[in-house]
Amino acid sequence: MNIVITINKEVKSYKVSPNDTLLTVLRREGYFGVKFGGCQHGECGACTVLLDGKPINSCAILAAQADGHVIETIEAYGENPEQGWKKTKGLSAIQKAFVESGAIQCGFCTPAMVLVAQGLLENNPNPTEQEVREALSGILCRCTGYLKPVQAIMRAARIIRGEEVLPISEEGIPLPPEWMEGRKIYLEMESQEDTRKLTQTRITPRILVTPQTQKWSHVGKPEPKVDGIKLVQGKPAFTTDIEMRGMLVAKVLFSPVAHAQIKRIDTSKAKALPGVAAVLTWQDIPRVVYSTAGQSDPIPGPLDSFSLDSKVRFVGDRVAFVAAETEEIAQKALGLIDVEYEPLPVILDPQKAMEQGAVRIHDEPEYVKFDHADPTKNLAAQIRIDIGSVEKGFEQADRIIEGDYEVPKVQQVHIEPHVVVTYWDEDNRMVIRTSTQVPFHVRRILAPVLNLPVKRIRVIKPRIGGGFGGKQEVLIEDVAAHLTIATGRPVRFEYTREEEFIAARSRHPMRIHMRTGVKLDGTITANEMVVLADTGAYGCHALTVTGNTGHKSMALYVGDGEYRKSPNIRFYADVVYTNHPPAGAFRGYGVPQGYWAVERQMERIARDLGIDPIEFRLKNALHPGELHPFSTSWSEGREPKPEVIHTVGLEECVRHGKAAIGWDQKQMDPSWRDIPGYPHLKKGLGVALVMQGTAIPYLDMGGASIKMNDDGSFNLLIGATDLGTGSDTVLAQMAAEVLGVTIDDILVYSSDTDFTPFDKGAYASSTTYVSGAAVVRAAQQVAERLKIRAARMINDSGGNPIKPEDITLRERNATSPDGRSVTLAEIGYDSLHHTDQEQIMAVASFYSPVSPPPFAAQFAEVTVDIETGQVIVDKLVMAVDSGVIVNPVTASGQIEGGMTQALGYAVCEEMVYDEKGAARERNLVDYHIYRSNEMPELEVIFVETFEPSHPFGVKAVAEIPMDGVAPAVGNAILDACGADLHIIPTTPERIWSALRIARKG
Amino acid sequence: MINEYHRPETIGAAIDLLARKEPVTIPLGGGTKISQRTKQEFAVVDLQGLGLNHIKLLENQLEIDSSVNLEQLCNYPDLVPGLKNVITHQAGQNLRQMATMGGAVAALDGKSPILTALLALDTQLIWEPGEIITSIGDWLPVRHKQKPGLLIVKLRIPRQVDFRYEAVARTPMDFPLVCVAAVIWPSGRTRVTLGGFGAEPILVFDGVGKEGAEIVAGSAFSKAGDEWASSEYRSEIAQVLTKRILSFDSTDPSRSWGVKDGAG
Repeated sequence: MNIVITINKEVKSYKVSPNDTLLTVLRREGYFGVKFGGCQHGECGACTVLLDGKPINSCAILAAQADGHVIETIEAYGENPEQGWKKTKGLSAIQKAFVESGAIQCGFCTPAMVLVAQGLLENNPNPTEQEVREALSGILCRCTGYLKPVQAIMRAARIIRGEEVLPISEEGIPLPPEWMEGRKIYLEMESQEDTRKLTQTRITPRILVTPQTQKWSHVGKPEPKVDGIKLVQGKPAFTTDIEMRGMLVAKVLFSPVAHAQIKRIDTSKAKALPGVAAVLTWQDIPRVVYSTAGQSDPIPGPLDSFSLDSKVRFVGDRVAFVAAETEEIAQKALGLIDVEYEPLPVILDPQKAMEQGAVRIHDEPEYVKFDHADPTKNLAAQIRIDIGSVEKGFEQADRIIEGDYEVPKVQQVHIEPHVVVTYWDEDNRMVIRTSTQVPFHVRRILAPVLNLPVKRIRVIKPRIGGGFGGKQEVLIEDVAAHLTIATGRPVRFEYTREEEFIAARSRHPMRIHMRTGVKLDGTITANEMVVLADTGAYGCHALTVTGNTGHKSMALYVGDGEYRKSPNIRFYADVVYTNHPPAGAFRGYGVPQGYWAVERQMERIARDLGIDPIEFRLKNALHPGELHPFSTSWSEGREPKPEVIHTVGLEECVRHGKAAIGWDQKQMDPSWRDIPGYPHLKKGLGVALVMQGTAIPYLDMGGASIKMNDDGSFNLLIGATDLGTGSDTVLAQMAAEVLGVTIDDILVYSSDTDFTPFDKGAYASSTTYVSGAAVVRAAQQVAERLKIRAARMINDSGGNPIKPEDITLRERNATSPDGRSVTLAEIGYDSLHHTDQEQIMAVASFYSPVSPPPFAAQFAEVTVDIETGQVIVDKLVMAVDSGVIVNPVTASGQIEGGMTQALGYAVCEEMVYDEKGAARERNLVDYHIYRSNEMPELEVIFVETFEPSHPFGVKAVAEIPMDGVAPAVGNAILDACGADLHIIPTTPERIWSALRIARKG
Repeated sequence: MINEYHRPETIGAAIDLLARKEPVTIPLGGGTKISQRTKQEFAVVDLQGLGLNHIKLLENQLEIDSSVNLEQLCNYPDLVPGLKNVITHQAGQNLRQMATMGGAVAALDGKSPILTALLALDTQLIWEPGEIITSIGDWLPVRHKQKPGLLIVKLRIPRQVDFRYEAVARTPMDFPLVCVAAVIWPSGRTRVTLGGFGAEPILVFDGVGKEGAEIVAGSAFSKAGDEWASSEYRSEIAQVLTKRILSFDSTDPSRSWGVKDGAG
């Protein structure tokens, strides 16, 4: 049928099928600003367009329904302000506000948010914050925590109304003097007017800055993201935003059973279906064992996976690959594949997986063990760490407190699903354009799987619509690549949201037993954690995730006095195979699991001893100058080496976090806990102290290359992978600082294995620290050449001779102490065209012997309905020592987004399976993530320290916000009503059950 | 798989299409449910050309055309107080712009806040052909046996009533594990419905006064256990919420805890 639609003021006629959604047609016609979030229920909103001026989800409406209507996509709004001789209007006010306010992280949902804002402000130019939040309620964002998008829309509204707004750099709220005096500040958000004012002005967070930061021009400043302008316009920057002639669509037949041998598989009917280009089973491709974990060589885990196997090990495991001309044909072909499964016993309980006689999940002869893995016992990894004399420590304790804790399997839920496009280039090299956090690991790991040498593979990482660890997996690239090899044609493969839930990775669920010995004065004498972790059907990240559970969470509390010098810590873990979908990397990488147990345990101990919970924690926490207690015992399966922790801002974090949440005032005011007229509601406060790591010492390496251009601009080529975090921006800021130019003089190109230097990828909170140090080194080398040439150029013009080391690079000039200068553009022309011609460029790399931990104090305020068990989280505060903050807007955006993910971990997110191993959660309705109109107030405070191992003093930001929200919420629930929860999420029924236990005493 | 799309301009033409035995033909409201891919082939009749998108204020009722979308109803100034909050709980704004009231009563399940509310409001459904009137309570249990060739064209809900709603969920905007809606007419008639479970919300009380309503509510959910909540929990919470909403002062606008201020 034919439809006629007015799209972006142009009348267009299209031939469509009755079954086509509007989204399908728009993307087919090149409107790539309309994104596909994989969902089939319209729940994510990434595909938003304006239909007759109103935002709707184009995935949930037929194209035929749009016939005769007016559609606007993001392509209708804004232009790049610089287009040569052509005058443009530039970006719209809303788009500008999004860029300036740091409202864009991965940018995948940004076009949808901008369109919603457009629809809102056209009808209501003076919205309240709540109206803005309600307008955004149809769009899920996993990166931002919604705060900065809300701020951006309110800022844009002011601009559109003709009101004055301050530049972002001037909008931060200084630390109020009353903070130091511990006075009440928690009432300041009370009135609607106040709320609105704060939302408009709180774009930059509160920061206690180091003296070093204050002298820098670009590091420490809220520079706009370098990719902001293209993302806010919805430019075709993501993996599937391309068109290729003859591109096939791939689909995978996923196993409907949790454990079975494939007895027979008949693909003849599927192959015979017109439009099917290839059907592959395990019989068609080489049998190469590998690990899907995107980690450095050697992979610190077992090799236990095949692209396709004759055995399936979970509901969602791969059975066959199909490539066809259209998605519908591919889908139909899947239904024509005839498979006979021979069922095997299903193990879903990790405890039973280790029992004698349990069915063996991995019996393949190709299995390659790592460390203590033992597939005969369904053991993917085992860890036994004893630091000090643990039993002696328990003997010296006045009390020993034990507790059992449990954490669930949860999903990363990046809004852009896993997606890849593969094709042979003109040299018959395999190009893999993929949404990955680890392009170099993809290339290395897939080479043997595809039977290609590394040199014949090129991996390109475009913009990524979020990853959060889920894309640290070499998960789907092989599917498309095998099909390209089979057909010779380009292939696109993209998970649906349901496939993300059944066939992607997740956070490891764990059962954790804690045993802690304490003196009556609150000194910890020994601390023990025993973990049983479920890695699911494959052992990707099994050892390293679970190792970090202990390595980070059990390292924070070393004890006091003599125990501080020689702590007694035990960490044992068994990581077992089951027939659940595999777990993997997820932001925080095992550490949030550990902190749920440790911080709930610390709270219970403090209450048991009658000691202030914060004083108890600080008494036993690490101090600067002390050894990381695990650094001599464990290093991700490699040789451990001692590490001294130089900077610990924990006490300052506690002080400022307490002030922000109003800890002392509220704790001292019994009436604060009650809400007049609502006897069933009780309020409470909770805290958790946490530490993470920054990169993996002696392993993680990042490279950078900087090349000068004629006009004094520089190409910065980095292997580092910006997955929405803003790493391209902070790396550019560091380069600009060293080279004395503005950030827009740094042209960043990242993550292309053919063109950029190696980088381990975006994980382990390493990019700003490791890749940043590589950038600084390369920039310093370039700066040295600039100064040499500048000194010569200045000296050639007469006057007192100067030395290169006297030259300062600042504001695009190389300046001598007496004020003479040449511009960098003059140096560029001189070096490339005029005198002793050379290409000024440098390559450098960096790896670290240490992993300096960031620290944080996280606070939660909750209200519990003691009759129903429902908890509402009212406010989250995080005061964090992440070293020097390179960009306070992007960094606070990271913290806000991380806290929001952690909030879901605390109260609502979990993946549940039936007795046959089938998933309960298959969409974003059942798997609820927080929406804009239900968020608690979020507050971020940066307490800077200067980490001496990095040229700009940085530590990591990205993962630590995941760690403390759940235990802070759990502790706040206990504080509010006495419900002592050992398991998350803290669902209403769990709180209700815990309250019943508490009432029984 | 949709293999035919029709957009008739009269109700009669729509009914003719819907009355066909082959192919299976389904009315298309906003499309939020039907556009989801399904394996069987069917035809759709898009109702947007029928002009069924008005809300009319009658003496004691609101008459809502079946193609009125949830956002349109949400923003209607004379809506029953409290109902706006329920609608915002049903879906985010984008889906509210698309989902129609007719589609809501036809497709939503027992977890639905709006369907639980409409049942409490004793919503009348007006059908064509014949302008037949049925109560939503009579129709919901048999809706899956719907004969072809019938079309909901209007819904009528009472206006001058005291509407109350409480829910328990994992987060403020998550679908409820248990929700209770109550409507009290000036005559004293009280209807209480339970949602958050099963294929449809259920009516647990319809009478004058409120005596016994909470006990009946508890009993009604005594077997309402599933993978999301146990029957023991649902049964007790149904009692707690029923007691709560039937006892509070309905003139207090700050009630309905759990809903963000101003969301409604």
